[in-house]
Amino acid sequence: MTTVGPLQPETVTVDDLIAAVWNVLGTVDDPEYPGISIVELGLVFSVEVDGTTAHVGLIPTFSGCPALAMIAEDVSGAVRSVPGLDRAEVRWLTAPTWSIERVTPKARAVLADRFTVAVRIGSGPVPCPRCGKPTEERSLFGPSRCRAVHRCEHCIETIEVLRS
Amino acid sequence: MEDFEDFLDNRGIVEVDDEMPDEYRQAVFQFIELHANSELMGGLTERDWIPRTPGLRAKMSVLAKTQDEIGHAHLLYMVAADMGIKTRTEMLEDLFAGKSKFHNVFHYRVHSWGDQVAVAFLVDAAALASQQAVFKNCSYGPYKRILKRIISEEGFHMRLGEDRMLRFSQGTPLQREMFQESLDRWFWPALQLFGPDTKPNDKLLRWHIKSERNEVLRDGWVQKFVPMLHSYGFTVPDPDLRYDEDTKRWIIGEIDWEPLKRAIANGGPDSERRIREARENWENSSWVRDALDRVPAGVV
Repeated sequence: MTTVGPLQPETVTVDDLIAAVWNVLGTVDDPEYPGISIVELGLVFSVEVDGTTAHVGLIPTFSGCPALAMIAEDVSGAVRSVPGLDRAEVRWLTAPTWSIERVTPKARAVLADRFTVAVRIGSGPVPCPRCGKPTEERSLFGPSRCRAVHRCEHCIETIEVLRS
Repeated sequence: MEDFEDFLDNRGIVEVDDEMPDEYRQAVFQFIELHANSELMGGLTERDWIPRTPGLRAKMSVLAKTQDEIGHAHLLYMVAADMGIKTRTEMLEDLFAGKSKFHNVFHYRVHSWGDQVAVAFLVDAAALASQQAVFKNCSYGPYKRILKRIISEEGFHMRLGEDRMLRFSQGTPLQREMFQESLDRWFWPALQLFGPDTKPNDKLLRWHIKSERNEVLRDGWVQKFVPMLHSYGFTVPDPDLRYDEDTKRWIIGEIDWEPLKRAIANGGPDSERRIREARENWENSSWVRDALDRVPAGVV
């Protein structure tokens, strides 16, 4: 592929395009957490550019997640908006597996403040997003496979806990 | 009560252990219980379709939606139980004994995959609009925080519903015909989900649980869905539907509220079967709850 769009100055390198793709993926929100991007949730594993095609490797929080097709569609749309790119090859990878450590500290803070959702890191108690006291597990599964239901007895709050 | 109402008017948020008038506690509790019951009955409806859903991709989303709805019910029952009026088990037992209310749309039979898509498309949108209106100005803190998460997920369900509706609209004549029949069955129940016109002295509105009158929300839904259905080449089952050129709005014919009244009194076309199956489901799964109760803390 040798055609280069008129918008792309000759000085744009593959690295620039890769950086632009990472940038634009930072604007693709998770369908269930508006305001938190898939990059911040650690769903984006790799970005490669070949001519005007970007190859994006994604990792799901769990393989049966119903949002996979929708996220892939949003990723394709975002990639095609990058000047110099016209195609996205989006793949859901089977390895590595997603883990909760991939969620950025910034996203963890938004989950806690805006959605009252805590994040389980390691095996210790999960602190309440409202008061910081340890919470108790009530159900291994909440509305999704990647979330448990906990309860804070201190501030009497029902919370969800994102976990791997 | 006047001081309390002033507090609410000034965007005051009530937390679970705050003092609140009994009437307010009762009204908020009933509202959350109704919501929880509806999520649970909705989840069971969705579950009915897991084995019958065509295609792996759609099956995955029906599975996940089932878990979503049951999960929402679980969260809402916990929040309702914290109000100290009924325990979670009491609420469930009342529901399965036919003593409680749940939304009208879950008192009807879902006849075909077309129906299932029509429900996902029309009913989820109506439910989302109502919930958004509650979330906007909700004075009860614990409910408001749960709604924030529920709404994000319902928004996602609506996208799934729209996606499937689009597939029907691009389908064969037979598929389009099937979906039209489903729309004919579900248009009115979905519209009635908003309820009859809000009364002038409505307490839920007064106490900032609801933020908008039922008829306003209903009209917003009509203005959105009538043109959308038309644009995909489907018709709306209302012989009196007309477009008012002056106001640029769609006006629907008179609404027959009798089906809604029957449905929410648990006398809808499919109420008996749905309540019975939910009860059997609860009874048949009692051994799981018993087993979990015997597990020492920290093992599972």
